[in-house]
Amino acid sequence: MHELGIATEIVAAAVSEAQKHGAVKITTVTIRVGVLRGIVPESVRMFFEYAVKGTLAEGAALEIEEEPVLVSCRDCGDTPASGLTVSCPACGRDGVAVKGGDSLRIVSIDIE
Amino acid sequence: MYNSRTHRRPGQRTAWKKFPGRRVAAVKVEIEKEIQQSAEAASRVLERIFASRKVLAINLVSSPGSGKTTLIETMIDRLDGRKRIAVVEGDIETEIDAERIRKHGVQVHQITTRSACHIPPALLVKALDHIDLDAADLLVVENVGNLVCPAEVPLGEDVRVVALSVTEGDEKPLKYPLIFKPSRILVITKTDLLPFVKFSTEAVKAAARSVNPAIEIFETSAVTGEGLAALVDRIEALHAEKVR
Repeated sequence: MHELGIATEIVAAAVSEAQKHGAVKITTVTIRVGVLRGIVPESVRMFFEYAVKGTLAEGAALEIEEEPVLVSCRDCGDTPASGLTVSCPACGRDGVAVKGGDSLRIVSIDIE
Repeated sequence: MYNSRTHRRPGQRTAWKKFPGRRVAAVKVEIEKEIQQSAEAASRVLERIFASRKVLAINLVSSPGSGKTTLIETMIDRLDGRKRIAVVEGDIETEIDAERIRKHGVQVHQITTRSACHIPPALLVKALDHIDLDAADLLVVENVGNLVCPAEVPLGEDVRVVALSVTEGDEKPLKYPLIFKPSRILVITKTDLLPFVKFSTEAVKAAARSVNPAIEIFETSAVTGEGLAALVDRIEALHAEKVR
């Protein structure tokens, strides 16, 4: 349900951008998804295939880039992680801050 | 046909593909645009409405059956004469919750989302047509019972309150971190049932604080009245802070 809305917005944004460039076809849509968004890639793909029907993006490939969380540690700097954590994945120190991992962006489209 | 020679813009990369009889350009267009902007924009509209009307907006979230509506009913009764409450109820179907709240003599409007698993901000903007915010100090929005989707859809609220009943299990903050992370207050409900369930209040507090170190926790029971006075005092103080 949630992913259907997301897929619809992705297609709408891609088509509107493609029209600005006078494209006749969208061949690839690239999106970036943060690991914290709780979005299931397979599910977005399924709804994407449904949402592109009858649009410029019909038949387009969907590329999904995963954006990790960055765990900021006083000693180790930023380490990428696949989820929320309370300790540094590198040295195990507690009291770290997490940032990023919350993107949901359309990165680019390939058009003809 | 897209002509990359004349319309090429900065940020585009061109790859030529051979087609029979002619050359067609496949062009990469960089966009870098956040999706769900419409929801975020609507949330900012709500924020401005609540600020201009000096209303403290509370987004109340939890799984189904943890006692959100009962919590609102007890808040209304305890704040009677101290603060004016208005309520927006969100459910997939039925007006059952709005009917319950209406009996307490406060302004209430029911949103039925039909199939949506959370209240979309645009529906809340429309619902506010039915509420006189100038006659309210607090607006409590009871979200659709769901620990997943409402986490990602802000409603311009000042305070997000997450309720968790002791029958649900003390590991919930670790399983659903996204909803606990941006919540200011955790209300543990149904503490009168503690003797009958395997639920550690200390474990749930530790789990909630590992996800959100600043979360304020209240242990409550609508049956015994435990913790409700402290919770209501805190809400009243948050409203005073906002209008100061």
